[in-house]
Amino acid sequence: MDHAPYDPLRNAVIDGDDTLARQLAEEASRAGLDARQLVERAMIPAMDEVGARFERNEYFVPELLLSARAMKAAFAVLAPALAAGPAASRGRIAIGTVRGDLHDIGKNLVATVLQGAGFDILDLGVDVAPERFVEAVCSDHVDVIAMSSLITTTMPGMAGAIGALDRAGLRSAVKVIVGGAPVTAAYAARIGADGYSDNAAGAVALVRRLLKGGSSDPPPPR
Amino acid sequence: MTSRERVLVAMRRREPDRVPFDLSFDISPAKLDEFRQRTGSTASPEEYFGADTRMIRLGPSRIETDFSPWLGSLSPGAAVDEWGIGRTPTSSTDRAHAHLDGFVHPLRDARTDAAILDYPFPDIDADYRYEAPRSAIRAVQEAGLTAVAMMECTIFETAWFLRGMEGLLLDFADGSSAAAALLDAITERRIVQARRYAELGADVLSMGDDVGTQRGMLMSVRMWRGWLKPRLQRVIAAAREVRPDVLVFYHSDGNMAAIIPDLIEIGVDILNPVQPECMDPAELKRLYGDRLSFWGLIGTQRLLPFGTPAEVAADVRLRIETVGRGGGLFLAPTHVIEPEVPFENIVAFVEAVAGAGSGLSKRPRRSG
Repeated sequence: MDHAPYDPLRNAVIDGDDTLARQLAEEASRAGLDARQLVERAMIPAMDEVGARFERNEYFVPELLLSARAMKAAFAVLAPALAAGPAASRGRIAIGTVRGDLHDIGKNLVATVLQGAGFDILDLGVDVAPERFVEAVCSDHVDVIAMSSLITTTMPGMAGAIGALDRAGLRSAVKVIVGGAPVTAAYAARIGADGYSDNAAGAVALVRRLLKGGSSDPPPPR
Repeated sequence: MTSRERVLVAMRRREPDRVPFDLSFDISPAKLDEFRQRTGSTASPEEYFGADTRMIRLGPSRIETDFSPWLGSLSPGAAVDEWGIGRTPTSSTDRAHAHLDGFVHPLRDARTDAAILDYPFPDIDADYRYEAPRSAIRAVQEAGLTAVAMMECTIFETAWFLRGMEGLLLDFADGSSAAAALLDAITERRIVQARRYAELGADVLSMGDDVGTQRGMLMSVRMWRGWLKPRLQRVIAAAREVRPDVLVFYHSDGNMAAIIPDLIEIGVDILNPVQPECMDPAELKRLYGDRLSFWGLIGTQRLLPFGTPAEVAADVRLRIETVGRGGGLFLAPTHVIEPEVPFENIVAFVEAVAGAGSGLSKRPRRSG
């Protein structure tokens, strides 16, 4: 496979250079490169690499934000072409922090990395009521609900949202994943979530696995 | 040994009669309600439980600034502090969530030096604001307690409360001169604050900026060294010029082990809260225990909310055994005591500390 036409854009996103990423996306569009291919072969591999560098403690939050900004700059150029082409989303994910919780930096990073990995993101924001998650399933037809809580006080909001999905008869229609500093795999299992990750790259792998029909591995006790 | 002697001895890394303790920064409103109901006491939890420290804060500002040009219109129930940082409540009506609020960042669009220079920063350096701390420090020390002067959110956190976390971190990555101007405006005021607190005889200067996450640094060590370390160094140096032996306490949540040697180098004496869910206190004691004291260690993320009283007591013993040798240990919850912490666990914590070590004389006070 010839990577050469995609490497400069891929590298611009990895390097977090939004000016260059925008310019390269414009040049690639003018040169007639397919927008979907640019996303698949430049931007998704770039965000995978950014996630891997974050995992290895080579990148930190500022570098993730730079790469996300560069990715968004290139996306903005490609958006019209992407909208005109056939839909090729890998799945639709609603993401939000649970009721009472306003800590959204981690949630935003996970949303950005999931978007970079090719998923459609419906960002419900912060302080999201259980009913809003239910609505995302019945009205917005999401495949996955991703919930975050940063402190132990708001963690029960995750169980509350799962209970609301249950009562609406929608629990089996959607995969539910959870995360946030105080959350553990054991807690995720106890409240009946489908999966847990303690980092953004892990969330991508988890969603890919869940949407392939696999279940998450049984959580280890912590 | 008075509480104050106990804290000073322990934090200078000699063995006290018992390990000192307090209840950390605060108790959440819902937990305070329960404390009143359970104990029938009108005393503060610190007094009631016999904590070794008291927090000292600035007197109120006389300046009333209208921050609406920066904040726009805020939702009902919002509050604005003297920095102009807006706080909005959540949609939840749960009393347990009452202390959780969201920021409105007044400098979210400030991208130029002029936008920073025009901003009405508060007068935390004004003389009159140190009258209340002056008498409070004297009263606390006369009662045999330790005066901890609060200057938390020293530089970085105040800066991102004003600018927004994502905005400020991108500013750092971009090398923004406006971000440097913002940090400098805060640092200049903190320098005066540190010097004044030191002059007034505060025992401990409580500084801190959260730069750790659950898995490591929020930003690279290189970025921290470029933007934050030199400024924190100037704040500490200003206090030390006045009182070379004033104790400097530095707080950062999360795993920030990567900058501990740098913190020691610029004069930090005490590390807080040594969050045990993501750092190993015994290992840090082994590495740095000859130069650094440890304050906190009793986890509010797992142990206190989800453990049993017996587990809390066992954890207190473990920390004393593994970190308390030769002094250098102060036990406290690692953060605010949240509503889901069982009251029995708070009592178990206090009784285990007060009953541990060589001097078993001091029991938690039940009067008040």
